[in-house]
Amino acid sequence: MAERELENIVGRNNVLNGPGVLEEYSRDFSFVPPIKPRCIVKPANVDEVQKIVQWANDTLTPIVPVSSGSPHFRGDTVPAVDGSVIVDLSGMKKIIRVDPRNKVAMVEPGVTFNELQSELAKEGLSAYMPLAPRSSKSVIGSMLEREPITIPSHHWDSTDPLLCAEVVFGTGDKFRTGEASGPDTVEEQWEMDRVQLNPFGHSHIDFQRLIAGAQGTIGIVTWATLKCSYLSKLNRALLVPSQNIEPLIELTYQLVKFRLGGSLFILNKLNLACLLGRSPREIQELRDTLPPWILFTSFEGYGVLPEEKVAYEEGDFRDMARLCRLKPETAIPGASAEDVLRLLSRPSPEPYWKTRFKGGCHDIFFLTTLDKTPDFIIAMSDLAKLHEYPVEDTGVYIQPIVQGTSCHCEFNLYYDPNNPAEVDAARQIVSAGSEEIAKMGGFFSRPYGAWKDTAYRHAAGTLTMQKKIKKIFDPNEILNPGKLCF
Amino acid sequence: MKLAKEEYQALEDIVGPEYITQEPVIMDTYNQVWGNKFFFDEKHSVRPAAVLLPANTGEISAVVKVCNKYGILFKAFSSGFEYLSLSLVNEKGILFDLRRMNRVIEIDAKNMRAVVEPYISVYRLQFEAARYGLYSGRIGVGYSAGVVATECCHHGCQHSMVFTSGYGRNILGVEWVLPTGEVLNMGTGDGGGDLFSADGPGFSLRGILRGRTGANGGHGVITKVSVKLYPWYGPPEWEQTKQPGEPPSFGQLDKVPDGYKVFVPTFNNLDDTLDASEELCRAEILCGFGIAITGTAPFSEGNDEEWAMMQKALNAGPRDVGSIPNSVVAVIGYQSLGELEYREKCVKAITEKWCGRFLPGFNEPRALARAFADMMWSNGVNLRATGDFLPSSSSPDGSPAMLKKLALQEAEIKDRYEQSGAFLTFGSGLRMVSWRPEEHLSTGAQGISTAQYDPWNPASLEAARDFINEIFDPRGEFNRYGIPSRGGCLQIEPVTHIHQNWGPLYDNYDKWLMKIKKMLDPNTVGDWTAYIPPEYPDYAKEGNYVLPSYGKEEKR
Amino acid sequence: MAWQDYVHDMQRCTRCSYCKWIPYRYMRNIDFMEGCPSIARYNWHAYAASGKFNMAYSLLQGRIEIDDTFLDVLYKCCMDGSCDVSCKVQQDIEPLQLMQELRIKCVEDGQLVPAHMVVIEGLRKEDNMMQSPKDERAKWAEGLDVKDLTSESAEVVYHAGCRYSFDEELWPVARAGLTLLRDAGVDIGIMGVEEACCGGRAYELGYAGELTKYAEHQIETFRTAGVKTLVTPCSDCYAAFKVLYDKIGKKLGIEVFHITQYIDKLIKEGKIKFTKEVPLTVTYHDPCHLGRLGEPWVHWQGKEYKVMGQMIVHDPPKKYRRGANGVYETPRDILKSIPGLKLVEMYRIKEYAWCCGAGGGVIDAYPDFAVWTGAERLREANAVGAEAIVSACPWCKRNFLDAARETGDKIEVYDIIELVQKAV
Repeated sequence: MAERELENIVGRNNVLNGPGVLEEYSRDFSFVPPIKPRCIVKPANVDEVQKIVQWANDTLTPIVPVSSGSPHFRGDTVPAVDGSVIVDLSGMKKIIRVDPRNKVAMVEPGVTFNELQSELAKEGLSAYMPLAPRSSKSVIGSMLEREPITIPSHHWDSTDPLLCAEVVFGTGDKFRTGEASGPDTVEEQWEMDRVQLNPFGHSHIDFQRLIAGAQGTIGIVTWATLKCSYLSKLNRALLVPSQNIEPLIELTYQLVKFRLGGSLFILNKLNLACLLGRSPREIQELRDTLPPWILFTSFEGYGVLPEEKVAYEEGDFRDMARLCRLKPETAIPGASAEDVLRLLSRPSPEPYWKTRFKGGCHDIFFLTTLDKTPDFIIAMSDLAKLHEYPVEDTGVYIQPIVQGTSCHCEFNLYYDPNNPAEVDAARQIVSAGSEEIAKMGGFFSRPYGAWKDTAYRHAAGTLTMQKKIKKIFDPNEILNPGKLCF
Repeated sequence: MKLAKEEYQALEDIVGPEYITQEPVIMDTYNQVWGNKFFFDEKHSVRPAAVLLPANTGEISAVVKVCNKYGILFKAFSSGFEYLSLSLVNEKGILFDLRRMNRVIEIDAKNMRAVVEPYISVYRLQFEAARYGLYSGRIGVGYSAGVVATECCHHGCQHSMVFTSGYGRNILGVEWVLPTGEVLNMGTGDGGGDLFSADGPGFSLRGILRGRTGANGGHGVITKVSVKLYPWYGPPEWEQTKQPGEPPSFGQLDKVPDGYKVFVPTFNNLDDTLDASEELCRAEILCGFGIAITGTAPFSEGNDEEWAMMQKALNAGPRDVGSIPNSVVAVIGYQSLGELEYREKCVKAITEKWCGRFLPGFNEPRALARAFADMMWSNGVNLRATGDFLPSSSSPDGSPAMLKKLALQEAEIKDRYEQSGAFLTFGSGLRMVSWRPEEHLSTGAQGISTAQYDPWNPASLEAARDFINEIFDPRGEFNRYGIPSRGGCLQIEPVTHIHQNWGPLYDNYDKWLMKIKKMLDPNTVGDWTAYIPPEYPDYAKEGNYVLPSYGKEEKR
Repeated sequence: MAWQDYVHDMQRCTRCSYCKWIPYRYMRNIDFMEGCPSIARYNWHAYAASGKFNMAYSLLQGRIEIDDTFLDVLYKCCMDGSCDVSCKVQQDIEPLQLMQELRIKCVEDGQLVPAHMVVIEGLRKEDNMMQSPKDERAKWAEGLDVKDLTSESAEVVYHAGCRYSFDEELWPVARAGLTLLRDAGVDIGIMGVEEACCGGRAYELGYAGELTKYAEHQIETFRTAGVKTLVTPCSDCYAAFKVLYDKIGKKLGIEVFHITQYIDKLIKEGKIKFTKEVPLTVTYHDPCHLGRLGEPWVHWQGKEYKVMGQMIVHDPPKKYRRGANGVYETPRDILKSIPGLKLVEMYRIKEYAWCCGAGGGVIDAYPDFAVWTGAERLREANAVGAEAIVSACPWCKRNFLDAARETGDKIEVYDIIELVQKAV
């Protein structure tokens, strides 16, 4: 029996198949149809992962790697086919190494941001984080999903902050990417000051890029190194309110061009309210008080002259804002910059901020350029009206990425999961919205359930090539079938 | 060899008779490049059967399909300045000279990207981008080198990497003619959109486009690239001038342009230099940085003048000579006076912390202007001294501490050859350690070491090969620093067998790479001399070690 | 040095392609970065100087022969030397000299360009490069009250050159030049029908014997005439007398001036005074033979040796001609001193100027290429806002006039002499 064979690999206690647990892994907050896995297996190390993958090949069993804890939102960790086995790596929680000199950390898949931040802080470092991730979010999971970080000036490449990784490909082969590769163990490498820092691929190929964004369809990562930033000795933050988004976009362009400042993003009032508010009522009140659009930026003080850094950055920012006829504030009615700043260095406090307003939330996000975001906002607003969904219940989050050459544009559709009409409206908007966004040039670089097909319909060449690559790294297609274009 | 009439006609029908040739006189101008002697024992590498000057992607795609039909190898290049770009496995091969594809298609100033065709040089893009207040980074390989070549096909290491990254990290979009002749657009390009992302949907095909180096023409033809641009703090135009009667090499700026400032501190010893360097790079204030390669001296007119200058410097005393290895060039850009003040203060504070000083000779305005130009703009590549050089023999990337170890280890070996007179040596006994920081050191730095030898001096050539054989021997003392050359400069697989020898030590990456090659190129028409073959030919071995195969041996 | 003796250079050409461009330091406009007309027009690498090194090396090794393609590549070149200047910013090799020697070899081997054969035949018969009767050589000066040096003596000989002598449209310029000097009090004469070709252009075509022959002839002619100074309004002739004769070891024995140098001298001496305004925006085109090719010859005999292990140096040190010592400032000084005249510079000037297109035998054998090259230069002149392009050589003026007519370009074409004449 499968479970017996798996128990031989990971130990009895690490194979779960109770009804409750199976139910938990069969669904998430996305609209993908629920499918129960066969069982859940919890490996403790790469050797076990390798054996599981080899077993999966031998038995042609689909496996679904998961590293974050619930709740999940995107459908990528829900089995797409029957008979799947969930490979839950969330128990692999070692923070293997923190290197303060080279600002790099090495972690296992189960490490969350909370856990990591505490360790990094001891060494004067901080993780590059997405915006208020849920507390159960895996650091590696976040990086592999290419979730945008909030500091665009440090986001050189779409894979940042991911550096190197140890991965088991779908063939069962173990592999270390980038500088981590070699005839020696990582411990031996450390003795030579090789710290798994440089991500550039072996010669003509960048394996790291094949696993990032792959939703576990190419390989299972068992540890990764990541860039870290300095922990600021001091910092300042400002909010810039605006009735319209256009001036904030203009200001953002100035900032990203010169890589000025630390965290930088734009939220609409609902999203800021959700981040700050603790209850539906609080959120509603905040929403009613806050200006329609808010830009947030921080100035991080570290290095040899931290105070001077913060001072000049803030000064220059204020000058830029003035030119855009905007007025930065440390506090606006309903929110203070410090409150937001405090949220950025840790995951979202419970309950997860996207669930506080109505209990349910479906994101739709894509890449575009900053100048196009107002068009998408109008489009989504029109769609909401069309589907009789309250426009004011749509959150907007704009995150410049890759040093401002594009941005992550996210719409959050809040709904009451117990209200079928709301659920239905949200589902329809996601579906219709995906089509509209794609038609308008929005790029679904991270194709999740709801818009996966739309994404690939506009990427025929990529689809064909990815299938060929998949045949190389996972010829039996045992890794997360049904995801991406597989 | 000549192509069969039918084959040649099929190609001519696509590009037109004016844009294809198989005249031997012209063919032999496409197989002579520096470095050939090192690999092939002579200046001539394999003579192509024909050279084509295609006008556009459509023509290239059609030609590649013909190549598949008739089993003709192909390779494309823009400037063709490296031997990798013109080397062919055998004579039944054609070259695409991409001279005619020379448009800057778009510069989107707001979204900081440029879309260019293959013949656009990095220098030209720097020039054009400056008008928009943008900058494309300074590559290491001279001003003819193409943007497509450096970003997608070859190394792409940049002297300004501390700020502008490199090694393919700036690719936002690509149009790629695959070895089958199909055209693949990556990312947003696949849907016909603006080229702002090459990643996805899903995992990024940039992973098979290139790694630390590109495929050097081995997996098709890149016909368009969208690259990230960086802020340019200087003027939209500039003029380098010289005095009447001065040689052309003396042209320079009078001063560092407004918007930039340059500092050249000198430290007391190697450790302080490297520690200060780390701190300067991690301060996130630099636009350009170099260790031990200051560029402050005028570019000498010729070797004789260079020698005269060196003798003067050597006679001035060891102190002056010792300054160069312990000097760094730090370029800061600023968009406000506040930024200038902060960044300048940082430089001075760090310099002071590590007991550095600003020697007048390196820090007078014209010297700084020279250092600026050398750091920020594509420059001439100086092969004049000896006629050739071995670029970055091992050149891994990693932490500065690791690179220091490697550099000193490699220098000991190089020293042997220098002492024997086989390589250029400055004779001062000083060990130069230099690395190029990447992304404010957040991904580490690139190790640099070069040896200058004379390929036409048999003893020097032999020494160069012995040196490389030693560094590249996977059984030797360098086998834990990373794959040598990383598929870059000294990667001629039929000669140096890097993939074959190092693959087993490095997670069998070569096996994966071969599979990708086979997948992309089922008929093996993409020339693989500087990439990887779908199968390894039979080479002479010593146990498992594949012996270097210098000399020209055509593979069928 | 014979062509085979350049094997060191052939081996050391790295294929950097700088020969195709002007030196990067001086690039100022993306539309005007190229330096070599040949590769700009014909695209194959062979047409660049690097290609010639490659061809020579292959020829040396017996890998190729001199065939029609070889001749086409070798001779579709203005021998303007832009490649030489650019190459030598980074290298110690001699592209232009190698190309010159290849041409000499081709001629020696009887591998001839038909159009050039006609020109040389004319030279041998009529002592001029214009296929015109020798006895009509003095027609351009008819009516001018000036000494005939075949029967009178003077300090200075005015050598018009073949182009000025037989290109009737250009006669006013030649006449103006002579008149200016005469009226400034210069004791000047002409050789009239006895003026012969300098041999420079023939040499560039590969006919080395012609250069020697005419050099010897000129030496004897001027010795007999007893002149002390030669002034010529033709840059080609200037380079022949000043540089090429010295190169082949023939000493002319008299001082050689281009007319711009002499006019400059007269202006400084107060013998030419500008009294009229010339309200015109002009750009100055540096003739190759006055500029980079007009740089004095450097004789060197020595050996190559190594220092610091492997660095290649020479004993005695070898001074390469890198174009810096041509005549660039003098014509500009003249233009700047003309009242009302505004001088704007093109993007490719001085050592790295784009050729007019007439040199190297191109105007004779490949007139379409000559016109194309000239038109490119006019485009550049227009791009900097010039109303007129002015140069200091009849070949330049001729080719610019032809290019303007061919393309319909309205830009005015002057020789510097004409502007000086307008201002006095």
